[in-house]
Amino acid sequence: MKLRRALLALLALVIAGAIVFYLLTMPATVPASALPAHTPDLANGKYMFAAGGCAECHAVPLKKCDDLKTKEKEVLAGGRCLKTPFGVFHVPNISPDKETGIGTWTTIDFINAMKHGIGPGGVHLYPAFPYSSYQRMTYEDLIDLKAYLDSLPAVKSDVPPHELSFPFNIRRTLGVWQKLYVDGESFTPDPNASAELNRGAYLVMGPGHCAECHSSRNILGGIIEDAKFAGAKNPEGKGTVPNITPSDDGIGDWSEDDIAYLLETGNTPDFDVIGENMAPVQENMAKLTDEDRKAIAAYIKSLPPRPDAVPKSEQKKHEHKEDAAPSSEGAAEETPESKSEQPSAGGEEKPTAGGAEEKPTTGGAEEKPPAGGAEEPPGIED
Amino acid sequence: MRKSIIVAFAVLGLGGFATVAICAEDLAAAVKDRRHLMKEVVAPAAKLGGQMVKGVKPFDAAAAAKAMNEINGVPDKYVKLFPKGTAHGEIADSEAKPAIWEDFKEFEATAMKLKDASAQAATAAGEGEGAFTAAFNNMTKVCKDCHQTFREKLKE
Repeated sequence: MKLRRALLALLALVIAGAIVFYLLTMPATVPASALPAHTPDLANGKYMFAAGGCAECHAVPLKKCDDLKTKEKEVLAGGRCLKTPFGVFHVPNISPDKETGIGTWTTIDFINAMKHGIGPGGVHLYPAFPYSSYQRMTYEDLIDLKAYLDSLPAVKSDVPPHELSFPFNIRRTLGVWQKLYVDGESFTPDPNASAELNRGAYLVMGPGHCAECHSSRNILGGIIEDAKFAGAKNPEGKGTVPNITPSDDGIGDWSEDDIAYLLETGNTPDFDVIGENMAPVQENMAKLTDEDRKAIAAYIKSLPPRPDAVPKSEQKKHEHKEDAAPSSEGAAEETPESKSEQPSAGGEEKPTAGGAEEKPTTGGAEEKPPAGGAEEPPGIED
Repeated sequence: MRKSIIVAFAVLGLGGFATVAICAEDLAAAVKDRRHLMKEVVAPAAKLGGQMVKGVKPFDAAAAAKAMNEINGVPDKYVKLFPKGTAHGEIADSEAKPAIWEDFKEFEATAMKLKDASAQAATAAGEGEGAFTAAFNNMTKVCKDCHQTFREKLKE
């Protein structure tokens, strides 16, 4: 009798747990009626395609699957592999092919993928596809981008499925991550900041998705707010991604012109050239207008200055492949927390860009909420 | 007899050890020399030219041509400084990706493009600021192209 009751209680718990998991991981999407009336502008779609760096991942790699160089930027048959601590991601075909690409997707399907990380049929998409940034893009820009993608050649391709370890191989678990970091809210301009700063903030936080590589992440894989843009271990294993905040560790001695010039030409102020993962990004930035590159530079200069998120001792260590792999998560998590006690992290209060930077972020839930920044705005999914 | 054998072995052993030691030194020297060429010869010259292009410094045709000619002298020496065993991870301070030795000819060809590009920039300097800017930007594309494929950047 007693045993039976205990079993029943256990069963109830399991069921309750399953229900909670189900609810927590429910895909959150918006209906087509949420879209504004907008006639697609192909030229702007093409511009957003460059600003968003779509081809960096979705164009076909030149030789090996991890080659940074790609074949034609307009042929988005996928096939790149991203080797991360979670496993290997194989980048999908996003050409308009109906069978192996996204040719059957409607505009609202595309927007739900970009803003909520949900594919047609309620499939959770992995955030290696940086929708945690793309969600800040406006509906208009996304409608234009979709129209541009539709205009590109449809190609068939055979991309293998992702090879991820448990529990990352269960897509549904991403629902929890999305609750924390994704709300689908478009970028909100800061009324106190200049039009240039707001444009720069939009390009950096939205399509440019700069924070995705330049920020350290916590154990859940979410960007640590206090260490945003302060550098990170290379998510693909080797090396570090530099601190781009205007601090001594970062690029405090660069002028706005230096930053804009780097984005245009790939040359640092010392006339070293950037390479690796940033090279294809820079080639895309070179396609933007001078005004937009200047706006990005102005916004980057207005970021709160921060010390390196990756300690100097570890910046040297990662030179060996093995070292950078799975342990990077834990290490990346601890550092900025211990650093957040230092006064430098208080740079939040920067008058101009502070608001512009903090408003569109969602990560606040994980670390202490940024000073004055809005707590998680009510998400559409609620 | 036995003594002489021991001595012979000892000498051989020492000799072998010395050979290995010299090799390791050679490899380290190659890394040092090639980095010196890039950091002390190419980078300052490129910076001088680049500052003129950026408008930080006034355009000076003679100085620009001189800087480009300095760069022009580097590639021939540079590509000879990549003995096997000097890839990033195999030896300290190396920024050389293993891809260099997967197809050494391709690496050589890519690096040697700097020779033509710098020669063109030197000539263009004599044709005025606009010509120099175009040729200089073309040259830095060559830099980037090679670095993207063959350099593993170390944090200084």
